[in-house]
Amino acid sequence: MNPETKQRLGKKHVINNFCTAVPSNYEFCTACHVGYGWKDNNFDFSAQDNVDCLVCHDTTGTYRKLPGLAGHPTYKDMEFPPHSGKIVKAPDLGQVARNVGKSSRANCGACHFYGGGGDAVKHGDLDSSMRDPSKYLDVHMAKDGLDFTCGTCHATSGHQVPGSRYAPTATDEKAGAHMRGKKDVNPSTCQACHGTRPHPASKTKLNDHTDRIACQTCHIPEFARGGIATKMSWDWSTAGKLDKDGKPIKLKDSAGRDAYDSKKGDFRYEANVIPEYVWFNGKVNYTLRDTRLDPSRIIRINHFEGSPDDGKSKVWPIKRFTGKQPYDTATNTLLIPHTFGDDDSSFWSNFNWDKALEAGMKAAGGSFSGQYGFVSTEMSWPITHMVAPKDDALTCQQCHGANGRLDKVPGLHIPGRDANPWLDRIGWGIALLTLLGVLAHGGARILMARRGNGGH
Amino acid sequence: MIKVLLGFIAGVVVIALGGWMMMPSLMFTERASPYDLEETVARIQHNIQNAGNGWSLSGLRNPAKAVQTDGGNVLPVLMIEACSTQYSKPILKDDTVRFLSILMPCKISIYKKNDGKVYIGTMNAGLMGKMFGPMVGEVMGRVAADQKKFLTFDPNTPAPKMILPAPAGAAGGAASGGGGGC
Repeated sequence: MNPETKQRLGKKHVINNFCTAVPSNYEFCTACHVGYGWKDNNFDFSAQDNVDCLVCHDTTGTYRKLPGLAGHPTYKDMEFPPHSGKIVKAPDLGQVARNVGKSSRANCGACHFYGGGGDAVKHGDLDSSMRDPSKYLDVHMAKDGLDFTCGTCHATSGHQVPGSRYAPTATDEKAGAHMRGKKDVNPSTCQACHGTRPHPASKTKLNDHTDRIACQTCHIPEFARGGIATKMSWDWSTAGKLDKDGKPIKLKDSAGRDAYDSKKGDFRYEANVIPEYVWFNGKVNYTLRDTRLDPSRIIRINHFEGSPDDGKSKVWPIKRFTGKQPYDTATNTLLIPHTFGDDDSSFWSNFNWDKALEAGMKAAGGSFSGQYGFVSTEMSWPITHMVAPKDDALTCQQCHGANGRLDKVPGLHIPGRDANPWLDRIGWGIALLTLLGVLAHGGARILMARRGNGGH
Repeated sequence: MIKVLLGFIAGVVVIALGGWMMMPSLMFTERASPYDLEETVARIQHNIQNAGNGWSLSGLRNPAKAVQTDGGNVLPVLMIEACSTQYSKPILKDDTVRFLSILMPCKISIYKKNDGKVYIGTMNAGLMGKMFGPMVGEVMGRVAADQKKFLTFDPNTPAPKMILPAPAGAAGGAASGGGGGC
């Protein structure tokens, strides 16, 4: 339960515009859950025996959980993906258990780099290039630099990982430098280490920006910079096309990335993405399953709240992910399709939306009128990883010049970009009068000199 | 007489200044692409392959890669290199203009800018050629005409696959090694 918005969030409750939702697809989605056997609504979250310690603490790199196994690892060698001919070896669990240690980038990345169904798909600032990044990609995590793990910033306390995007910290003015470990401070913010005036005295003007501009805005000039493109849109409305033999189709784009998949629809990927920028005060409102929609508008799956006037917001970089997904045209609510499974109602088996939506909503305990359409949606993701070297931060001109990065952010007066027309007219008027004065004075002196009185 | 001379000098200065200011846009052209970076590259590559007149792809370089290797960030840049022996041969045979081999292979640069859009940068081969005599002028004029064909896109054709020749591993961020052509 988010204490501020009073919304019940989490994997089980939210709906997104990637794979849409977990209910009815538990066995597939819960490969990325630190628990064993979450295959339906009856999973016991309080049972310690269900907790998977190894997925976070394996140091051998052999422990792997595959989609479809409800959060279990492979206990025997198996072909994955099915019918691919590729065999995934079962890990030696004894060996893994004898080699537990602190979580590495690879442990966290096993799920967080691959969210949304593949490498780099979801976040944009987290992908497998961050497993062993170079300095250009992330100054904190660079193997040849500071070599941070995820846990260096997301320092846990009692296995509670700070820095959740469900309750993010947009402004951290309470933090001073070296405040890490203080209980009421989120240790994963930039300010938790760098303080609120992080720039040196020679660049003190930059410190005048930190009350309104998030560190990430300047220091993450682009995301998906590691050579792996992130998914930028997903259109479910085109899913289900089959070839003349009734077989599903897969198409690639010019870079060899997925462009169409009968199971999922159309995609668009992009690398080196320039972020969008929004005011953000840390409060995120979600469109949930029972939220009534206006299908004539683009539905915001989540909405970053903030404004230039609330005194709590900063300008943040985001990835805006767009798509189309099913909704109930009678009740104007989002629908959950049953996608994964060998049964007759799963979309990936029969490509029948009616059956898939009915089964999905039944499993989620919701209702389905039987009428559906596809609504345009967008989802915002905060950009906070892939911090570039300081020399690659945005230059002044990139915001203060014409057509700058922050042009679409309301309520900002940016010197150099913005002008008050009356102030400009007055200034030019004074300059013109000065010029006229100089010319008149000079002309008079020349005239007087010719008349022979020396000009004075 | 002095007034005439001063007027003449002033005229020369104004024209020279104007020429100096216009030179970059005359020598090089830049246009926005309707496609993303990779699709723009792929469409140009396929146009080159289908252009005839002996054109072939000789490389695809990635200058941004070298900057990354050095620990820095720049927005993506990919440079298509193409060559036609029909056009390179007469220039390479003539000792007086052989130094123009420095312009070979023909390059087209595709890059992203800070507005998020993808742009195509080319050299104005026709105008450049006119500066080096009639033979070079004629050859480069034909290159310029072909170059226009490279940059004519048919939106009704599906996105082709980008052509990535085998990596050469050369310093300087080459994304590919040499291919056909020159």
